[in-house]
Amino acid sequence: MGAKNKKANSDAVYAKKTVKSTNPFDNATAQSAKRQNPFDVHVNKEKFKILGRICKHDRGMPGVARSKALQKRTQTLGQQFAVKHKTNKFKDNRIGRHLSGDQLTESVMNARYLAEKMSQVRTTQKAQKFNLNDDELLTHRGQTLEEIEQYRDERSDDEELDDEALDADFTSAAHFGGDENETSPQDRQAAIDEMIAEQKRRKNEIDKEKNEVYELTEKLDANYKLLLPLVAKATKDEQEAKPPADAYDKLLKEMIFEPRGSVTDKLINPAELAKQEAERLERLENERLRRMRADGEDDEAENAKPKHRSADALDDGYFVAGGEEDDDTLAYDMEGNLGTHLASKPETKEDSRDEAVEEDGEEEEESEDDSEVSEAENYSDLNESEAESETEQRTQKKPKKAKPQATTTLDASIPFTIKMPKTYEDFTELLSSHAALQQATIVERIIKCNDPKLDGVNREHVVKLYCFLLQYIKDLFEDASEQDIRGNFQLLSHLMPHLQSLTQLNPERMSCALLDVLKEKFGEYQKNPKTYPTLDTLIYFKLVSNVYSTSDFRHPVATPTYVFMEHILARARVRTRQDIAMGLFVVAVALEFGSKSKRFLPAVFNFLEGILYISIAKRDGDKLEVAPPFELNGPFSKLLAIAATPESKSLEQQNLQAADLVNHTLTLDFKVRALDTTLCLIREALQLVGEHTGACYLAGPFIPLLARLRLKPYPEHVQQHHREATQLVQQLAEQKMKPVALAERKPKALRMLEPRFETVYDDKRRPKMSKEKEERAKLLHKIKREKKGAIREIRRDTAFVQELKLKQQLQSDKERHEKVKRIYQEASMQQGELNELARSKKRKK
Amino acid sequence: MKRRASFEGSSLTEQNTRRMRLQANAMLNASPFDPTPLAKFILNLKQKPANIDQNDLMAVLEVIFTNLLKRESLEPQALQWDSLYTETWSLLLDRLGSSSQVETQMALKVCMSLIKGEATSPVVEGDWPIGKLKSILEILINGPERTIVLKEFGKYTKCLDVLNLAIKFALELAPTGDYQHDTIKAMNYLSLVNQLDLGKAVLSAQKYHVDTNKSHRSFNYEKARKKLNKIWRGIIASSNGIDEDLHRMVLVVLLERILPHMENPIGVTDFLMNSLHEYDGPIALLALQGIFVLMQKQNITYPDVYEKLYQMFHARVFSNKYKSRLFYLADIFLTSTHLPENLVAAFVKRFARLALKSPPKDAVIMIRFICNLLLRHTGLQKLIRGDPLAEQVTDPYNEKENDPVKTEALNSSLWELHFLQKNAIPEVANAATFINNPLPIMEFDLGPLLDVEDSRIFDDLLKSKAKQYMLSYENTKTLALTEDYIVTKYFDLV
Repeated sequence: MGAKNKKANSDAVYAKKTVKSTNPFDNATAQSAKRQNPFDVHVNKEKFKILGRICKHDRGMPGVARSKALQKRTQTLGQQFAVKHKTNKFKDNRIGRHLSGDQLTESVMNARYLAEKMSQVRTTQKAQKFNLNDDELLTHRGQTLEEIEQYRDERSDDEELDDEALDADFTSAAHFGGDENETSPQDRQAAIDEMIAEQKRRKNEIDKEKNEVYELTEKLDANYKLLLPLVAKATKDEQEAKPPADAYDKLLKEMIFEPRGSVTDKLINPAELAKQEAERLERLENERLRRMRADGEDDEAENAKPKHRSADALDDGYFVAGGEEDDDTLAYDMEGNLGTHLASKPETKEDSRDEAVEEDGEEEEESEDDSEVSEAENYSDLNESEAESETEQRTQKKPKKAKPQATTTLDASIPFTIKMPKTYEDFTELLSSHAALQQATIVERIIKCNDPKLDGVNREHVVKLYCFLLQYIKDLFEDASEQDIRGNFQLLSHLMPHLQSLTQLNPERMSCALLDVLKEKFGEYQKNPKTYPTLDTLIYFKLVSNVYSTSDFRHPVATPTYVFMEHILARARVRTRQDIAMGLFVVAVALEFGSKSKRFLPAVFNFLEGILYISIAKRDGDKLEVAPPFELNGPFSKLLAIAATPESKSLEQQNLQAADLVNHTLTLDFKVRALDTTLCLIREALQLVGEHTGACYLAGPFIPLLARLRLKPYPEHVQQHHREATQLVQQLAEQKMKPVALAERKPKALRMLEPRFETVYDDKRRPKMSKEKEERAKLLHKIKREKKGAIREIRRDTAFVQELKLKQQLQSDKERHEKVKRIYQEASMQQGELNELARSKKRKK
Repeated sequence: MKRRASFEGSSLTEQNTRRMRLQANAMLNASPFDPTPLAKFILNLKQKPANIDQNDLMAVLEVIFTNLLKRESLEPQALQWDSLYTETWSLLLDRLGSSSQVETQMALKVCMSLIKGEATSPVVEGDWPIGKLKSILEILINGPERTIVLKEFGKYTKCLDVLNLAIKFALELAPTGDYQHDTIKAMNYLSLVNQLDLGKAVLSAQKYHVDTNKSHRSFNYEKARKKLNKIWRGIIASSNGIDEDLHRMVLVVLLERILPHMENPIGVTDFLMNSLHEYDGPIALLALQGIFVLMQKQNITYPDVYEKLYQMFHARVFSNKYKSRLFYLADIFLTSTHLPENLVAAFVKRFARLALKSPPKDAVIMIRFICNLLLRHTGLQKLIRGDPLAEQVTDPYNEKENDPVKTEALNSSLWELHFLQKNAIPEVANAATFINNPLPIMEFDLGPLLDVEDSRIFDDLLKSKAKQYMLSYENTKTLALTEDYIVTKYFDLV
């Protein structure tokens, strides 16, 4: 009934869902529909309305509920009661009795069979337990297997084929009786005879064929048995008969199994190479931009802590001098390839060879030496010897490669391997006898022979070499004269790439060395801050500019150099030609430093203003401002001013010369040159900062100075540069700016908090309990209530059953009563009849 | 090679010094006193042989004579070395007048310690060798320029007895006539006066050069003060038409030593006012400080003080020796929160402008100062918290206006700080980022920044040990960079 109800309900639900009728009368109850009887409804009065409480018991229909319960009981308990003590019912106790169809798998069936068997064994006597000849019958689809066996067709397939298709003649004859026109009735007997004969003949034929096949197979079998030992023997012999491998075979085999070649990178075509290079540069550029940004201390902290670096990102361009990292991993090959670790074995070998080289100084010997060694080497160890020869080739190649760069005739005098000089005196001695280009070559060869990859000691050697070079630069430029300054610069120009590659070998040590030099220079300068330092200091600045990533927001080498340059530009007095040229040199280096980061150094602008100021021939009434180190008035305030002469007008355009950095006397051409350069540098400097807000503050002071400059005596190119500078300055000075405001930040999201539940007091005093206890109490309460309900239900069930029993009792009593009554009736009737009989007897008597 | 030679030379003089010390010890330990080696030493002092270090010689003599003087006080003997002592003394005074700074310093040290020794042994003259101190001071004042030696003498004037005597002699030795005629002497004299510190720290320390002698332990502040005032009157009387250096020195002396102990400080107002108006730069600054002190202590009024202060801030100030004094003064002057906003705004704008042109250290100070001013005057925060929707304008602030109130600074905005974030020196750039964040709650303490040396930033940078040295990834073949080459563009070097 319950299931039925459910189905009805679900039907109703589906009906509601599917049929959404628009008919307004659909929901109206029909006249005939069962209406709720108001007398059935019982309302429970509610004293107070409590908000938030869902009351389920406000109304109920006790009559309906009771009848429902009764109905349910009759269907469940009543049924059970009715069949109580009844034995005539079928009970399926088999395994998997609920399964049907496909679910009844083999395993289930087996289990069922086994269980059956077990029960049988259990029931029968023990003696039968070991009875193998049990007469149990296995069935399949209700038939015993024996029965099935009887009907099985044992014939083979080919026989079936023969029999299946009857002859067309036969069928036509047998089924349809043939053509009456052609065959006479007497023919019929003959035809049948013929047919039978034909059949017999065919059977004979088939028999014969069968026999033949059988015979042939028999024969084959017999033959096979004869052949079998022969075959086996032949294969075995063949194995034994293999001739012993001679040298040629061995060699051949080895050659076959020898690895054909080591796995290498596939050849990269130039386009891919260019692409890779571009990618690498882009990555490095991104790195640089990140460092350039001034994110303040956070960024620095990030830099400070060791970050995870993937193996791919290890080296290609920046050399990070990590404390524990070995130099070998950081180093570049001389061709600019990334150097990898060499295996320890070849390295030590190379060491010994290096020593040999140093002793002999001849390459032939070296190669001989090597070949002997490689012969002595274990023959099977192919890979290693191969690597060995490769490295050897490379080292041999290097000096040869360097050769075509230099002029061959002169380079012949330079040995290919040069020992690292022990002292600075030796070093200068080594270099002194050669021209600039050869000196560079010598340095290059020293670097190559002392590559830290070759030997651990070389690490110290390269650092020493770097220090020597720094010292050499100092010696070259400290007291350079006008004659040799250009040559010195040429030499420096040749040395620059080597200084760079040296720094790349061990950035940490080299940078420390350079920093020490700078520190010393700064100390010297601080003793006398009013004068320019010697030229070598400026050369170190240029070195920093070339070698380091100067655009970084904070850089261990570049930033101190910046500060040093700032000090020089802000303090040192400008009095001679050398001072002016040096100042402009420092300005140019400072601009190079800031060219990528677009950062400005105030002293640069002050200095440029000052140079403009001293180029102006002032009269007393002029109100021009200039900051120290330039003097407001006096002879040094008109240092670069020139008078209009025809020769000044006709000067060619010329850059500042190397000689200007050492010469003290001011000449007319220098004055023009310096002003020209200053105008250009003003343009460069302002272009650098032009994009920032506030650049007008740096451009503004130039306006009166540029306006006051008398252009008349100057040649055309100076006037041109002046026009350009003025234009840029005016353009920047008119810059309009938005008021400074705090950058809009994202509104801060409210913090999401856990909701806080307030305890609700219902004025019922309960003992305070922990959470678990409370939960337990709740559950216990629930159990209590459920128990109560269950007891009630059981009581009602018993009442129901008692009622049924009573009914039954009453019924049986009634039946008995009636039976008794009937018996009495019958007895009385019998008595009556007897009495009648007796009376009639009496009467008869 | 040169180094090695000088090393060998020094070893020779060192040997000599060692020998001298041994001889001196032997002589002092010998029971019958034999003054012959002492005579030899004095001869050496007189003849100045090249292989003997004069400083070491003087040190040896000092040891000998202090020991002898001590011995004399214990057991009076026939004065075998009396003549030698007088000779040594005269030689030392002679050395005090020499031109070598190191030697004079050493001679001064020896003289002072001998004075001490002599005073403790009552035999020689029985009292404080006043005459000797006087002769020392006389030589110091009359010789060539002696600022450093006189600074050395400042160590001894911390002792009250020396101080008392020095004040007395300073009064006596005051140069007669105008300073402009003998500037060196005047300078020395002023340097000496500059060492006469009557400050509380010195007076409360109660230090004496000669401990045992009781007679000179009575130091009377009132008397000393009177004498000091007298000295000042002498200085002011003779300082007519002096040059800037002397004028500056006079002002320094006045501010540091005399003004706190003056009987009638109002009297110097005219002098300070004249200095303030007639001069520019450091002198005006020092005068302003004096006036500030007078304003504080004597309650004088000076209406244009802010205008004057404002004008003192210009680009030249950064090469000024007394610039940290200026910042200190400005900080005090602008402490009041009741100053008109447009006045303070003008200062803020000027600081910002100057920070664009100043050395990094001063830029950092001024940026911090601006931040402090913005914190003091919350109304000024509109300079950095403008309306983001406002139109673009050129800066309305008028740099050339001398009156800070009329500079229109309040209508401006602090673009300078924005631009300063692009400064190449990371310290400055970082300091200027304060406008990007909410302002700090506490003001910055400028004091430690003001004391910092200019070269400090460089040293700090070198001190911080870097882990990574980022190199340029562009390999250059010559001097020129691969791009943005500026040096090689404008210089024909190769």
